[in-house]
Amino acid sequence: MATKGLTEITVWYRGITEGKISRDIVNSLAKAAEKEGCYTQAFDNYGDLPDRVYVPCRSYARISDSPIAEPYLYENDHPAIVAVVEPTMVKGVPVIKGIRPGAVLVVNTDKTPEELLQHLQDTDLSDLAAIATIRAGGGVLEGALSGIEGATDVSGMGSGAAGPIAGAIAKISGIVELGSLEAVVIDPSGVRRGYEQVKVHWLGAAGYNPGPAPHQEERALGEEVPAIIPSPVGENDGMITGNWRFLRPVINQEKCTQCRVCDIYCPDACITADPAGFKINLKYCKGCGICWTECPVKGAIAPVPELDFVGGVVRF
Amino acid sequence: MGKKMKLSGTAAVAQAVKAADVDVICSYPIRPYTATMIELARMVATGELDAEFVHGEGEHAQLSVVLGASAAGARVFTGTSGVGFTYAMEVYSPISGEFHPVQCMVGNRTLDPPGDFGSEHTEAMTGRDQGWIMGWAESSQEAFDNTLMYYRIGEDPRVMLPQFPCQDGYFITHIPDLVELPEAGQVESFLPPFNPKFSLDPARPVIMGPQCRADQGAAIELGRTNAMKRARSVIPEIVRDFSLKFGRQYDPFVEKYKTEDADFIFVGQGAHARTAKSFVDAARAAGQKVGVARLRFMRPFPNDDLAQAVGHAKVVGIMENSNSFGSVLDSGPVTIETRAALYDLDKRPKVLTFMEGLGGEVVRLNDFAWMYKIMKEAAGLRNPNQKVFWVGFDTGAIQEA
Repeated sequence: MATKGLTEITVWYRGITEGKISRDIVNSLAKAAEKEGCYTQAFDNYGDLPDRVYVPCRSYARISDSPIAEPYLYENDHPAIVAVVEPTMVKGVPVIKGIRPGAVLVVNTDKTPEELLQHLQDTDLSDLAAIATIRAGGGVLEGALSGIEGATDVSGMGSGAAGPIAGAIAKISGIVELGSLEAVVIDPSGVRRGYEQVKVHWLGAAGYNPGPAPHQEERALGEEVPAIIPSPVGENDGMITGNWRFLRPVINQEKCTQCRVCDIYCPDACITADPAGFKINLKYCKGCGICWTECPVKGAIAPVPELDFVGGVVRF
Repeated sequence: MGKKMKLSGTAAVAQAVKAADVDVICSYPIRPYTATMIELARMVATGELDAEFVHGEGEHAQLSVVLGASAAGARVFTGTSGVGFTYAMEVYSPISGEFHPVQCMVGNRTLDPPGDFGSEHTEAMTGRDQGWIMGWAESSQEAFDNTLMYYRIGEDPRVMLPQFPCQDGYFITHIPDLVELPEAGQVESFLPPFNPKFSLDPARPVIMGPQCRADQGAAIELGRTNAMKRARSVIPEIVRDFSLKFGRQYDPFVEKYKTEDADFIFVGQGAHARTAKSFVDAARAAGQKVGVARLRFMRPFPNDDLAQAVGHAKVVGIMENSNSFGSVLDSGPVTIETRAALYDLDKRPKVLTFMEGLGGEVVRLNDFAWMYKIMKEAAGLRNPNQKVFWVGFDTGAIQEA
């Protein structure tokens, strides 16, 4: 049993296509910890569900050396381990917000930890002990569909990218033994690959040794809120969707004929038909790909990986 | 011992429905109960369960379909949540009035607004006067067990009433929790096949729910009242038999968690009672005499059992997870029922109400600490000036009225 008290694990994934991977990660870690005598929970974030394609969503595992006193929470309070299944979320989503001091971040990516750190320049890293990367595969465009919200889908657990990511988590944190993890997944070789190939960049002294979680915060007293409120009319700052995007549409102004097909087809009205050059509203562009699919001019709009740009995504 | 696995409350109920070998299922999707129907549809499609699976075009249709199927002698299952529950309202009274032991699970969801998916009990409480057996589970295991117990209670010839086994949305419906599944033969020995005295049969015509004159109405209503009264004595018998056959112990009506010597007792039902018990464990370790009385049934309401369980306390704190706008003290159904149940005691505890978890809000350990502090202060007052507190909204400062 490797946990002292309660350890919370948060996994970020892209809705629908990576749901199975994410659930497999939390389910396999919880099951492995259970084998080691821990009390565990593994569940989806209810507010993120029902998930939609590419929306940033969360799954949770909670591993404890004693019975879990508060089994009915919506979110992890202070995760000591955060995993990210699709790496663009490191840039677009505050994935390490609220972490426990000494927490570790594990990202599924071809990039190095140092490259990812470029995208975290404006993020407070003082509570983060390490950033680790693992090339687990999967891929947001080729995920196994599994949309059974509320039911338990542990069939074929750990057959895809989930195994290496769980293996990487086991290596960097020691939260479960490699052997326990291998015993609960259907592809132990994937778990072992993640365990062996994870690249770790320690930000301070090497070693996973998280500090105590902060005390439960006192509630601030609430007041009545009206059920009828003014409509935002223009942009809605309560529903920013730019972080759904992992491919950014880039317009080649020289090739663009200003035919407005992209503008007409864009489901989020993100394209401004400015005669001086068409513009894309990156705060709301979901990277859905309709513009570059419908554009009649070859090469006038190109999809470019969002991580090729530093900056340009507004965090929610 | 049966196989143990982690199941959400919705998946656990699907397993129980399969174990109960139901004949007709009618579905219509609404969060958060939907996964039960997803699981059952899969079981029927793969042949794991031999049942008619009908898609209703709405909740009113769902309840109408199972009414007809039950009248024809089938064991039936349906379910709903939130506004779906209230949409079917018209059909609830005919089902109980004609004595069809339909089972309709409820995965609680707040009515609109606030339009979130969170759990409070208000929607199901609007059905508490419809002649249905009703109560809440606090875990996936209890949700599984209640499904079986409710069928047995409802189909008992002395009762013949429909049932709403409820579970908190998300907290129970979505979070997987350990469930022990039955061994072969266990369910068969507990739940005999449904064999109603009357069913729709051309060879033996009957009229179910006859239209009648106003002077005949009271006599017909008395039937449901008496059936519910008989359920009060049938339930302990069946819960005892369940414990015997399955080895899991339940207090029939009120779980008494460290209440015996308690001066302060929380009263509530469903998921939040489990967190309340965690608070009680910690407070007991610090020498505090506090307990939880958890209601397992709302209908029939266990007035005697509850009065017996909490009558000796100095202060009772009701965890009110539903709202009845403009009711006594501007509280909710558990408050109304509990206060009424304690009224005839010679010496009554003080009764405070905590409006908690409304809209599905989480109730945390420090919220219970806040409630407990108010209960202790109230003990020293003859008549506190405030008796209903909104957790997270009220300061909790009280004084003599």
